[in-house]
This record gives sequence, C-alpha cells and structure tokens, in this order.
Amino acid sequence: MSRATSSLSRSIAAHAILILYTVIALFPVIVIIINSFKERRAIFRTPLALPDSETFSLIGYRTVLDQGNFLLYFQNSLIVTVVSLALVLIFGAMAAFALAEYRFRGNTLMGLYLALGIMIPIRLGTVAILELMVASGLVNTRTALILVYTAQGLPLAVFILAEFMRQVSDDLKNAGRMDGLSEYRIFFRLVLPLVRPAMATVAVFTMIPIWNDLWFPLILAPAEQTKTVTLGAQIFLGQFVTNWNAVLSALSLAIIPVLVLYLIFSRQLIRGITAGAVK
Amino acid sequence: MAASRKPIRWHIAVFLAPAVLVYTTVMILPLFGTLQLSLFRNTPDGQVFAGLENFRTLLGDPRWSANFWNALWNNTWFFIIHMLVQNPIGILLAALLSNPRLRLRGFYRTAIFVPTILSFVIVGFVWKLILSPLWGIAPDMLDLVGLKSLFEPWLGKEEYALTTLALISVWQFVGIPMMLIYAALLSIPDEIIEAAECDGVTGIAQFWKIKLPLILPSIGIISVLTFVGNFNAFDLIYSAQGAMAGPNFSTDILGTFLYRTFFGFQLQIGDPYMGSAIASMMFLIILAGVCLYLFGIQTRLRRYQF
Amino acid sequence: MGSLKLENIRKSFGKVEVLKGIDLEVEDGEFVIFVGPSGCGKSTLLRVIAGLEDATEGQVLIDGVEVSAVPPAKRGIAMVFQSYALYPHLNVRDNMGLGLKQAGSPRAEIRQRVDTASKMLGLDDYLTRRPAELSGGQRQRVAIGRAIVRNPKLFLFDEPLSNLDAALRVNTRLEIAKLHRDLKATMIYVTHDQVEAMTLADRIVILNQGRVEQIGSPMELYNHPGNLFVAGFIGSPRMNFIEAGRLGESGKGTIGIRPEHITIDPSSGEWQGKVLHVEHLGADTILYLESEKAGLLTVRLFGEHKFAPDDILHATPRREHMFRFDEAGKART
Repeated sequence: MSRATSSLSRSIAAHAILILYTVIALFPVIVIIINSFKERRAIFRTPLALPDSETFSLIGYRTVLDQGNFLLYFQNSLIVTVVSLALVLIFGAMAAFALAEYRFRGNTLMGLYLALGIMIPIRLGTVAILELMVASGLVNTRTALILVYTAQGLPLAVFILAEFMRQVSDDLKNAGRMDGLSEYRIFFRLVLPLVRPAMATVAVFTMIPIWNDLWFPLILAPAEQTKTVTLGAQIFLGQFVTNWNAVLSALSLAIIPVLVLYLIFSRQLIRGITAGAVK
Repeated sequence: MAASRKPIRWHIAVFLAPAVLVYTTVMILPLFGTLQLSLFRNTPDGQVFAGLENFRTLLGDPRWSANFWNALWNNTWFFIIHMLVQNPIGILLAALLSNPRLRLRGFYRTAIFVPTILSFVIVGFVWKLILSPLWGIAPDMLDLVGLKSLFEPWLGKEEYALTTLALISVWQFVGIPMMLIYAALLSIPDEIIEAAECDGVTGIAQFWKIKLPLILPSIGIISVLTFVGNFNAFDLIYSAQGAMAGPNFSTDILGTFLYRTFFGFQLQIGDPYMGSAIASMMFLIILAGVCLYLFGIQTRLRRYQF
Repeated sequence: MGSLKLENIRKSFGKVEVLKGIDLEVEDGEFVIFVGPSGCGKSTLLRVIAGLEDATEGQVLIDGVEVSAVPPAKRGIAMVFQSYALYPHLNVRDNMGLGLKQAGSPRAEIRQRVDTASKMLGLDDYLTRRPAELSGGQRQRVAIGRAIVRNPKLFLFDEPLSNLDAALRVNTRLEIAKLHRDLKATMIYVTHDQVEAMTLADRIVILNQGRVEQIGSPMELYNHPGNLFVAGFIGSPRMNFIEAGRLGESGKGTIGIRPEHITIDPSSGEWQGKVLHVEHLGADTILYLESEKAGLLTVRLFGEHKFAPDDILHATPRREHMFRFDEAGKART
C-alpha cells in the first residue's frame, strides 16, 4: 500500500472504531480489578477512581483467602486441565496420524465418526454420562472430569491435526521407512516434531473451554475436594453476593492468572488461530 | 489365495484405539444413551418403556410445553442477537485490523480478545455488578453522555433481561469471529488486492466487491459455530440469573431448562427421563441446523484456492 | 499516448535501499523490459510506476504529469501480475469488466470492450467460466485481457510467464509480441529471463542491486556490453572471462569472449586444452575445455561434433569479437 492508495481520514476512522471497541472490551475488567483494591465506601462513591492511600484496602482479598478454598480449587483446575490436555494431544495426534497416513477400509467413515463431535456438543449426553460415572464410582473425582474433557476435545484435535499431518512430506516418512524405522518411531520421531505448531493451536482451543467450564464440575464433581476454580468462584460469589469487597476480589483473583497467562501466550494463541494465513 | 494376503496392519488399530475408545465410551454412547433414556419413564415398578410419551408431555402438557416453547423462543432470540450483532461487529473489526499499514494492530487484537478467554462465571458476575443499580457504574457512564434517563436495571426487567444477556455474550465472544475473519482476510493474496487497486476498487467498495465474497465460507462456518454454541449455552445465564433464569423465566433457554428438569428445583424433583427428552430435542435442533448448513448452505458457498 | 519518465527514483525499506536513483525515459509505443537477477529491484520499480509502492524520493511522470500522489486506478496503467491475481469469485467477463464498472462506464461499452479483448485473445468461449475452471494459459490470457479492456496508457507486466510451462511460455511470448504490434501501446515488462528480454524488447534496462547497469536495444547490449555485469548477463551460455594478464596483454583488466566466438581445431590453435565435458544439444554442441593459458572455457559449436572428454583440442578466439574491460569492470573503448 502507498500514499496513493491510503487516506488519512480513513485511517483516523479505523483507529477511532478500534479504540472505542477496545475500551468496551477492557473497561468492565479494569473496573473490577481497580475496585477490588478499595475499601467499601470508595467502591460506591468513586467507582472509576484508582485506589489511593486513603481508599486502598485488601479486606476483600483477606475474606476470599480466609473463606474460600481457592488454592485447592486452583490445583484441581490445573490437574484436570493439564491431564485432559495431554491426553487430547497424544490420543488426538495418534488418531489423526492413522487417518492421514494410512489407506484402510473405513478411513473416511472413521473420520466422519470422529468429526461428529465437533458439531454435536457433549453436554447433550449429560444424563447418561452421569449414570455412567455413578455406575463406575467416578462421581466427585477428577478422573470423571478428565475423561469427559478428553472426549470433548478429541474431535476438533483429530480434525485439525489430520489436516496438518497430510502436509508432512511423504518422502520424509518413506526415507524413515527405508532406514528401517517402525511406524511408531516414524510417528513419534519424525511426524510429531513437525506438527508442533499445530499442537500448540489445538492446545489453546482445548484448554480455554476446559478451564472455564461450569456445567460438568457442577454436575459430575461438585464436592468440596474436587471443585474447580470456576465452580468454586461461582459458589463463593453466590454466597457472598452482598459483600462487595469479597466479590470484587474473588473476581479479580479469577481474572488475573488467566489474564497474565493470556498476555504471555497471546502471540502464540493468535498465531494459532490465524494459522495458515502466513503473515 | 491366503498366501498373497497382506499382513494385518496392527499399528493402525493401535494409533486409533485410545481416541476411539474414550470418544465412544464417554461421548457417543452417552449421547445415544440419553436419546434412548428419553423413551423411558420411571414408575413404582422401575423403568418402563414409554415410547414417545415423554415428548408428548413436553410438547402437549400445557405446563411443560409453555416452558419448552418459552425456552426455545428465548434461545432463538439469543441466537438472532448474536447473528445480528456479534458477527457484523466481528467482521468490521477484522476488516479494520487486516489493513497491514495499521499501527497498533497487535495491541487492538490482543485487547479485544481478552473477554473471550474469561469464563462465563466471571463475565456473568462482572456485568451483573456493572449493571447493578446499587453500584451505579452504568448510570454514571450514561450520565457522561447525557443519557442517564435511559438507565434501567436491565438484568432485572423481564423485557430487557434476555437481550442484555445476549449482548453480554456478544461482548465476550466477538473475539472469535473477529479472529477467524481476520485469518480469512489475511489469506487473500496481496496481488488480488493490488489488482483491485489498479482497477480502482478501493476502500469500502473493495471490501464489498472483493473481500466479502472471498470470506463468505468463513462467515458460514462462524454462523454454524454460533448456532451450535448458542443452542448449547447455559453457563452465562446460570451465573448471572441462576437456574431459575429469572426474572420470571424470561431468560430461560434450553440449557437452563434442561438443567432444572434434570436436577429439579424448588419443590419439583429431578427427572432424568424428561431431562433426556429435552436433551434429545436439543440434539435434533442442533442436528437440523448443522444439516441445513452442510447441505443447504455450505454446498453453495464456493471455497477458493488461491 | 503513453510516455513515461522516471527521475532519480529511490526506494528504501527501512534501512535497506532497494532502488538507488533510477532515471529512465520511455517513449510512447515502446516495449521496455526490466531485467536483472532476483533482488535487483526490478519488481519494486514496476510497483512504484504502478503506484502500489511509494518512491522514497524521485518523480514518476506519465505523459508528462507527475503522478506520485495519484492512486493506481487513475494513472492510466494496467498491470498483469505474476500470479495473474484474477478475482476468484468473478467469471471471466466480470473479471475483465470490473475496472470499467467501478469507473462507471456504460454497460454497453463495457460489454463491447470485453468482447473485443476476448476475441483478440481467443477467450470468447470461456466468458462465463470462473478462474478455477481455466488452465494456466487461459488464466494468463484473462489477466492480459483485463489489462487490455482498460485501454491503458501503460501496460505493466510483472514476470507474467514465470508460472507457465516451457511450451506455453514460448506461445504466450509470441502472443505478447503480437499484442504489442497490434495495440501499439507502451509496455513495461519485468523478467529475470534474458531470453524473454532479448526476444520481446525494443529496449532492455538491465538492473543490478538497485542501479541501472545499461539501457539499450537487445543487439546493442549483446554487441556492446558496457561492463562485465551486462556482458555476463546477456548471452547464453555465459561469456568467458579471462584475466588480461594471462594472455600477455598489458595492464590489468579482463578479456571477454562469447562461447560462440571461439573456433576449435584438433591440431592447431592459440589455446591448447583438454575437454572436460561435452553437451550435445543437436543444433549446438557445448564444449567445456580446460586450457592452460585461458583457464576453463565454454565453447559453443554449431551442429554435431564427435568430441569426447579427455580429447586434446585447440581453441582460437575470433579477435574482432573480443571484449576488453578495465579493472573496474567497465568496457574499454
């Protein structure tokens, strides 16, 4: 593009719209965070002001840490998310490799079968999933959540990874076969390292909904010992709904770690989503 | 004859087994289990086959059907708002961001995507607080632009609550259509855009005549993802309004209706059979929508190889 | 009408200077080709002329009018892109007519101009097809047709043949030459292929590292290369370069002799050498000769010859075709 093809007024308009929307996107989050550091009266009197020495208070955070079991919830969320993610990635990659690499009877059918779950949400099977978990004694265990999230994440993972694995050069794999590598070694040693960028994309897509899910923790694992952060926050917020300091602090505690992680990984995330468009 | 047969390639089975096993056991079988359960009923003698009795109750019994149609209509409205607000805003933002000369595009992209990574619980509560007349942030903001008189406790009024929640959900998810459209716009080759510049097709005309037709397949995919997501929604309503989807069920959608039916609420005890019937209806609705897209729309959208 | 004048065009991308002051005048109706190795700035120069890129410094004048602030569509140019850049969602007719439609031309006129262009290019039967349903050669013609329809003062071609296979390339080359004769329009054409440049151009501009090395007609460049770069770039196989000192000539510098200007004799000649390799091309035979006096020589002989590696042969340059270059690589006169 050049001087001859761009105009100043258009660029100002573009910035105006983007700034407006950025404010809309960030304003609620920022208001919550700054007010969580204020004392009760200041929250109501000057909600848009930054905390100063007079209005600064950590009382809300103290309530949250005293009353809630957030460290435990956080740990539960972390375990559930990480384990599910690992299983989705490894099982998904293996299945994707089988579908992308080998011609066998039923290949297409198997692909369609696995892709079904992209469009049909797993929640619709909740009634029977709960029965299954009750029958196998997994209710109120992290295992139940891990199994559900693994199943939930697999369809999209297989779909995306198979696309990428089709692009891995056949010559490379055949060279591996000439060198006497087994099919397993070809997968783990040659193909997996090459699709790492795709794995990162899948990881992000899989991780966010698992971390943020409320439905399955509420139904499958509502016990204190297995509560995830999302469910814990939901219940805490419900109980302390009139304690504004506590509510704002709990929200901030739930937002800040995710926000920090996002800011660290946002480049990878965006690159992942826009993968394929090379720029 | 047997001598020429290829050996069974066990590794294919090994590669497929874990994924297929978990997926089938935890997702597909329960899905069909739920469909099947919707055909049964609990009696003092235990579980008995009831045929379509549950569906007849759901659609025929005035107490049930009123709730069902209410939830279905609310859900449809929820979806309409997303299509009318979320996707056009997403496309507009993506179109602005895709200008390679734009400064700060990385910042805008990152900032606008922030709400999308937050959980529904947080989003629901944050907005509940901001819109709360008790706190007064929303009226204060309106006061700044001289519109204080327009303020209403939106989440608490039957006529506004659902639309407000839909707009909150739009606020949260606008990042997804933005990113997908952004990616689609970036994949249009530079030379095509330059050819358009040479042909005098610039600015807004360039968007309508060149870019939009080329990103239609992405818009189609976004629409169907929005549809599936909306008809499967639950968390936001539950966090902001509770399982009763108040005020007076005005924000009740299929997800919350399913939850209440399955687990029971107040005096009504939970009913897995009716719950399954509702889940089956949701399944049929989503399936119908997806099929309509796959066979009716997608086949008509041309995908372009650049 | 369509003349072009470039005055001291400079272009930098950040700290990298891609064009280092280009001056050029192109007359109405001329076919000018920019040629040079990849990265020499030829495509950037074309894009500056088109208005797709701003020059950092300097002026572009089309028909005597300074156009630096004029958008591409208003410059009276049409461009044929390397990848053709056809609009994938429009059929052939709409692809060709979009520019006119955008400019608000009457329908009948658009129709008539598209019809004329498509007849000229043999595209009549494909007007309702989309680009995806066309072969590479047909797409190429649509891209050219899109340019013709706009009736520009200046045609710009950016390596238009590089995506075609060898046979089609020759065909399309002939078509472009015919098109130039028929339209009598000014054309500027970028390529890295010196054969395209030699066969099509009225004048060739040789670019290297952002500078013009030499401008001239194909035969001028072949017969009177201004420096070592041009001498080595034009002609295939490449000219032989020999240090002047090795041949006992006074002063430092380089002697150049084209492979086709060396004669071979089995028994006597100036430079004795051993055959390293022979390429039999049918019409030509290319010999690679390791000579003691002149180093490795490439020799091009007409017709078939039964030489084999390790044969001892004698090579003699034709004196009147020898080029002499000074230490800086400039041709001595």
